[in-house]
Amino acid sequence: MADESLFDFLHMEIVSHIYKEQQSGKEEMDNKDRAVCVSVLESMGFRVGQGLIERLTRDSPSFKDELDVMKFVCKDFWTKVFRRQVDNLRTNHQGTYVLQDNTFSLLTQLSNGKQYLDQAPKYLAFSCGIVRGALSNLGLDSVVTAEVSVMPSCKFQVVVQKL
Amino acid sequence: MTVHNLYIFDRNGSCLYYNEWNRKKQAGISKDEEFKLMYGMLFSIRSFVSKMSPLDMYPSQARPVSACLPVCLSACLCLSACLCLPPCQSVVLSSLSVLRKEGFMSFQTSKYRLHYYETPSGLRFVMNTDLSVPNARETLQHIYSSLYVEYIVKNPVCVLGQSLDSELFSSRLDSFIRGLPFYSPRAA
Repeated sequence: MADESLFDFLHMEIVSHIYKEQQSGKEEMDNKDRAVCVSVLESMGFRVGQGLIERLTRDSPSFKDELDVMKFVCKDFWTKVFRRQVDNLRTNHQGTYVLQDNTFSLLTQLSNGKQYLDQAPKYLAFSCGIVRGALSNLGLDSVVTAEVSVMPSCKFQVVVQKL
Repeated sequence: MTVHNLYIFDRNGSCLYYNEWNRKKQAGISKDEEFKLMYGMLFSIRSFVSKMSPLDMYPSQARPVSACLPVCLSACLCLSACLCLPPCQSVVLSSLSVLRKEGFMSFQTSKYRLHYYETPSGLRFVMNTDLSVPNARETLQHIYSSLYVEYIVKNPVCVLGQSLDSELFSSRLDSFIRGLPFYSPRAA
């Protein structure tokens, strides 16, 4: 993969641009505005994830079951996109998975503890979208959310929708 | 063998970051004034150096040495008296190191040495150490490339040009300085 800073800088600017656009003219951002920004970022990530997964699974055989798909996401997909593997995968075997990454690459430069904790969700929305897009193109409709308590470790929660 | 303090200025003269490790005596002026004084002195010294050896920095025609020498010397003496790291009997500007094409790099007095590093983007790193440290240029370069670029430029929350509040940057810088071979908790 190319130099990681290229994507890091672009991502920083995408997030700040979307927030500035939403705020233009208004004094303060309320929760509705923030939700709009987050969903815009997430849908961008969705399309990126869809494309990425097509490219990365070009040569691999089809997956046996849902758990196999999640393991692929945790290992190969995470390595290609975020340059490391997910540290912990937990599931309740009924469609909910929690992926824990202890040094999430988009958060490492922000802080090492609690500083800037309120800004963290902005930088996770795009990645949630990437995961959701990847899963959707592998046949799994899902809802992906992320939470951070101590940087740079974060947890992605994937709830697979059963039709 | 110790590091006294470190300043980081941007190209407009505002001080982005300041930290001290072993400062013996506080100046009688506020921090803002001290930063302005420091920046002004460095500005004068740089223009003095460029006029003294114009072929080093600007390969155009030579310029006459103007009256900026007394100005910068007096600013420097005043600053040294203010900052006055250990109690100073004689503050003498003993040498200006000018290497080929580098311009101003450091100066020393009888009690301390000030090291200066300017990045191509206009950021200025200034570190005061005691006399036993001959050349801290690589240290300053390392602070710029591995600490500033990593933790400030790549930090989406830090706006370039505003003072650096990232705790991650401060803690990494602090542990880096304390880990330097020429740092010891007590000044010699």
